[in-house]
Amino acid sequence: MLELSGISRRFGATHALEDVSLALSEGEVLGLVGPNGAGKSTLIKIIAGADRPDAGEIRIDGTPVQFHSAHDAYAAGIRVIHQDAPLVPGFDTVENCYLGRAYPRRFGRIDRKAMRRAIAEVAADIAPELDLDLPVMFLPPAERQFVRLLRAVADKGRLLILDEPTAALPAEDAERFYDVLRRTRERGTSIILVSHRLDEIADFCGRAVVIRDGRIVARFVESEVKPESMIAAMGGSASERSTRATDTSAPKIIEIDGVTAGDLTRPAALDVHAGEVIALYGLAGSGRSSLLNAIWGAIPWVGKMRLAGADYAPRSPRQAIARGVSCVPADRHRSGLFVSEDLVFNKTLPLLSGYRRLRGLPVPDVKAEQAEFVVAAERVSLSYGDPKQLARTLSGGNQQKLIFARWANRHSKVMLLDEPTEGVDVMAKATIKDIIRAIAADGNAVLVSTSDRDEALELGDRIAVFRQGGIVRVFTRAEASAEALSAAAQSREAA
Amino acid sequence: MTRTNLNRFGTLIAFVLLCIGFSIAAPAAFASPANVFNLVQQMATLAIVATAATLVMTISEFDLSVGFSASLAAVICFVLFGQGYDVWLAVPAALLVGIVGGAANGVLVARFGIPSFVATLALGTILSGFAFGLSGGQSLFQSVPDGFKSLARGDVFGIPVLGFWIVAVLGVAAFVLTQTEFGRRLRAIGGNAQAARLAGLPIVRDVIVTFAIAGGLSALAGLLLASRLGSVQHTMGEPLLLPAYAAVFIGTTASPTGAPTVAGTLLGVAITGVMVNGMTIVGVEPFVQKIMTGVIILVAVLLRRVGRAR
Repeated sequence: MLELSGISRRFGATHALEDVSLALSEGEVLGLVGPNGAGKSTLIKIIAGADRPDAGEIRIDGTPVQFHSAHDAYAAGIRVIHQDAPLVPGFDTVENCYLGRAYPRRFGRIDRKAMRRAIAEVAADIAPELDLDLPVMFLPPAERQFVRLLRAVADKGRLLILDEPTAALPAEDAERFYDVLRRTRERGTSIILVSHRLDEIADFCGRAVVIRDGRIVARFVESEVKPESMIAAMGGSASERSTRATDTSAPKIIEIDGVTAGDLTRPAALDVHAGEVIALYGLAGSGRSSLLNAIWGAIPWVGKMRLAGADYAPRSPRQAIARGVSCVPADRHRSGLFVSEDLVFNKTLPLLSGYRRLRGLPVPDVKAEQAEFVVAAERVSLSYGDPKQLARTLSGGNQQKLIFARWANRHSKVMLLDEPTEGVDVMAKATIKDIIRAIAADGNAVLVSTSDRDEALELGDRIAVFRQGGIVRVFTRAEASAEALSAAAQSREAA
Repeated sequence: MTRTNLNRFGTLIAFVLLCIGFSIAAPAAFASPANVFNLVQQMATLAIVATAATLVMTISEFDLSVGFSASLAAVICFVLFGQGYDVWLAVPAALLVGIVGGAANGVLVARFGIPSFVATLALGTILSGFAFGLSGGQSLFQSVPDGFKSLARGDVFGIPVLGFWIVAVLGVAAFVLTQTEFGRRLRAIGGNAQAARLAGLPIVRDVIVTFAIAGGLSALAGLLLASRLGSVQHTMGEPLLLPAYAAVFIGTTASPTGAPTVAGTLLGVAITGVMVNGMTIVGVEPFVQKIMTGVIILVAVLLRRVGRAR
């Protein structure tokens, strides 16, 4: 139904896209893969009418079209679904699906029954388990994704473009999401899937294209769609699972005993040794992030903690920093970055008082800051143009590295990482994993909270699995396998 | 010149054009030393209140009590004079009331999580009640100590004393915002409060201190206004509120990221000041002046929007 031929787009001297050609038929799923900054977003914008190509042609059902705005593309049935596209929290699914659409009317009043009928008809096809009458604020994150999908399909969407639809979902929920997507495809809807999770692309897409530096560098069909081949086409190499065993003779850095906090409702106990990486794996809301936040002093907690042999009771991140704890929070946009400030500002903020030129005078020495920034940036292999550029101009992976850089010039004892590779491309992912291992090798106790099972397996010297507000089991590397982790993390039996 | 530069300096260029325009229209009256002197005096109190607003807007909050704090400080000062107290007691007492009122705003916002718009409106209304009560609702004109008169009247080497106040207050504020750790933290809190908290910044303390400074600056502006006019009314500070925020918003159009800056605010104060002064000299009717001032604010902010959308 969709054909692109020779699409090019330039921004100044850089070619964001060069001679890109694609075709997609009805009910077909195409995977779109590439490093951050490769041109994926530009391509999506062009297909969705939000940007116009400098050259090339777009055809829908064989007819050349020109999208002058996102409206035109919408009218042609093209729907872009962002993973965090806003829904109105207090509206139920039916009302959310009708946002921005003309309401059916009966005697001049909104015909709520007709609305519900129309949505229920589509929902029965693709997501029968979804509760249509509950305000979406009460739905779990996975089902909110169903709502976004339903909204796109119900309003005559013929081509769905999904950008990282499962980035915020744990593996189990991602599978449910793909079930829904599969049923959507069976109705004849075409889908373009953009994801950094290459195994999902491999499982779900009949075809995949790899974009690099604005060009399509590889096309794969059916059985060729494999993570290894896609990584190779992107210019990276597949990461390997570390085989290091835990050194239990190393001193215990952090001891957690009977701690409850936030989602962590059952007392947790865990010791982490120097130089060890512990992966905290579980669904969203299973308590793993709450444990990290408790150690960071960011949320109220009860229980007992010891750090390097002394009592440790942080009531704020400030106190945690003073004791040698460092943290890279989840969701860098909400909790980490200052996008309208420059890179140096973002890097030095938490330890700013360490840059005084005159002791006691709280005026930072800008030159010293910049010098340390350059060193730290090198350590986390941050690629940037100018230390004074704004943080928003970096790609996702580099933004994440920037947060890592905050702690790169000091000796921490404990490093807390919450979803450190979320929304980051494969290459940056590999670098970040190397950084994490280097931090541990430096003698840090590292705690990595993740919803990505493979990442837990790859990084964790031990893996603590969380379920329903408590640690259910701690696996050693030898005991851990994908199946065992999933089985331990599944919470369905109680639902 | 690139488009972004045009945006950034557009506001400054508009200001210069405005000055040139009025100088041509009324060369004798507008560009005369006496009028410039007068203009600086008129701008001073607004500049200081607008600086208070700038600090609070840097942490992405509002302080609607600035005008009320200014009135209350002036009333307290004059009431104390009436009781025979000296300048050295009356002025610090009045400033302290402003600081405490501001800190109370900060506590309501930072500790109790009340939206600043609501908290400062409520507290400001309470302050205005005190000002009303203490003044008995009447203008206060008692004999004012000479030391107090000299706060805002007269000149040094031909430069109005209030001009020095502008330089001192705005200079210190600009230095604090751009050069110090405190200023850095305020920008962080305003940019992303959640991230600032997770980066270990003492947010509650910083927010309270910011509101306290804003309250203190408002009180100072009230005292300077009282010194210049020689009399006090319990509502005298209220008309400062909207122009102060107007100045900050005009000023944000001159900053690269749209964040408030002290320099931008000064430009905003100057533009509105020159508009009103110039139009009065040229003989534009007061109601037209108001309409024109509103249009200027909208045009400045709209140009910025259009420029950014590209």
